[in-house]
Amino acid sequence: MAAATARACCGYTLRVNGVTSEAPPLTGLALQVKDLHVSYGPKRAVDGVSLDINEGEIFGLLGPNGAGKTSTLSAIEGLLKPTSGSILIRQVDVRAHPGLAKALIGVQLQSTSFQSELKISEIVKLYAGLYGVPLTKPAIFDRLTEIHLGDEASRRFSQLSGGQQKRLSLLIATVHDPPLVLLDEPTSGLDPQARRQLWDRIERFRKEGRSILLTTHSMEEAQAVCDRVAIMDHGKILTVGTPAALIAAHRDDPQVRQAAHGEVTLEDVFIALTGRELRD
Amino acid sequence: MVPERRSVAVPTWSSSLKVLLRADTTAQLRTSLSLVLAFALPLILLVATGLGKNSAVLGGPAFRISLALTVGLVSIGTVGYSLAIARDRDTGVFQRLRVTPAPTWTIMVSRWIVQLGAVLVMAIVVLVVGALFVGVTLPPQDYLFTVLVALLGSAVFLSIGQAIVGLIASADTLNAAGRLLYVPLIGLSLFGDTDRLGTTVELVSRWSPGGCLETLLSAAMGATAWSGQSWGALFASFGYTVVFAVIGIRWFQWGAR
Repeated sequence: MAAATARACCGYTLRVNGVTSEAPPLTGLALQVKDLHVSYGPKRAVDGVSLDINEGEIFGLLGPNGAGKTSTLSAIEGLLKPTSGSILIRQVDVRAHPGLAKALIGVQLQSTSFQSELKISEIVKLYAGLYGVPLTKPAIFDRLTEIHLGDEASRRFSQLSGGQQKRLSLLIATVHDPPLVLLDEPTSGLDPQARRQLWDRIERFRKEGRSILLTTHSMEEAQAVCDRVAIMDHGKILTVGTPAALIAAHRDDPQVRQAAHGEVTLEDVFIALTGRELRD
Repeated sequence: MVPERRSVAVPTWSSSLKVLLRADTTAQLRTSLSLVLAFALPLILLVATGLGKNSAVLGGPAFRISLALTVGLVSIGTVGYSLAIARDRDTGVFQRLRVTPAPTWTIMVSRWIVQLGAVLVMAIVVLVVGALFVGVTLPPQDYLFTVLVALLGSAVFLSIGQAIVGLIASADTLNAAGRLLYVPLIGLSLFGDTDRLGTTVELVSRWSPGGCLETLLSAAMGATAWSGQSWGALFASFGYTVVFAVIGIRWFQWGAR
């Protein structure tokens, strides 16, 4: 009964230690990050980042190399301990309830690898098990077939192409049907076909009601898939808005005009805000 | 937008550990190099030390078996374990596991349990080969005692492996260091019962991790009586395990630096 109530009011239920309980009430926000600071020794990687991601929203975090995007994501994922600040995933405090917070998110890391000795079907079984989703062999095969990897079930991760590896990583990130998905440069190194396919999958996630936070270097990608984007540099958020709103807001800035070759694009705004110098 | 109805589960630590154990055991069985290191090397040594006219200088059959067990333990616990951990750390396997709801400690404990299982099988194989081809048969309780000592030795050498992987960041450096460690860890265990290289070497050898293990295995197999030195070796082994484990856990990094 409790589970039914939870489903009715919140859209999902929680099972902790085998006990089903009512999920935290939806606030309309999938993720709330407040005044986040992350330091590596004396270096401040994230310096007071605050951002909110709405339910069902695709949010892009843009920035040059070393801007603090991956550190921000790592703190949300629980891989890094922030120096200060708070992170709430659907009202669940990441630091106070790390297990529950991790169950609410699906993660695709920038460079993911899986145990090299395991077959792909075994990798899916492992991660499904770690998220408390028991999958039978036919169910695993069905999931792999959905992403066109049904014939590769007995191969190893290292034997897959870059695009296949990304598809498998994304499958594993969403194997437990999480409400929030974090994708760190999901399309880097992919050819245009594979990139478009991935965009379609991301769009499908949104239609299924998930929220997505992704980092990318591709302004084309940000414009194509993101509802809102934040541009960050030196650990700080410089600006937030829809791609169209950011272009409109900065269209007449002299630096943007200087960067633009014709019609102002999101990339021109990005270059104007973060500078032209090369980053490591 | 209203999210689709879904259920989010936080598995218990026991179910996470079970899932990890299944995967880690599968991975261990598929690693041919680690299997060769775990079984072939001790067995080759067991047979090779019995060849030649002067083989008795090294020690009796019980000593040969304990030496074979020590080599197996160093291969599995120190070298094999630390290399596997360093490789998975470098490739990001641990970071991927850490973003799941599984408690972080289960990731490492699963690896330790699999290594202990490998040691158990290796010890049984060495004892069976010892009985069939070297002529060392023991009373049943001594077999049990020997296997228990082998598991304790495994804890010692695993903790040394943990310390190495905690202190050395690069898998390549660790590979080289691991091979170099064979010399002191196994070499020292050879001279705990002889003063051919002087009494200082004998003393250091006797109280080294390998030397302590030799002492315990010798007592377990009934080659020597359980004595004050055996108790000393037992306490020293516990001490080594705690010290190296603390070092290894304190400085361990889950991701490549």
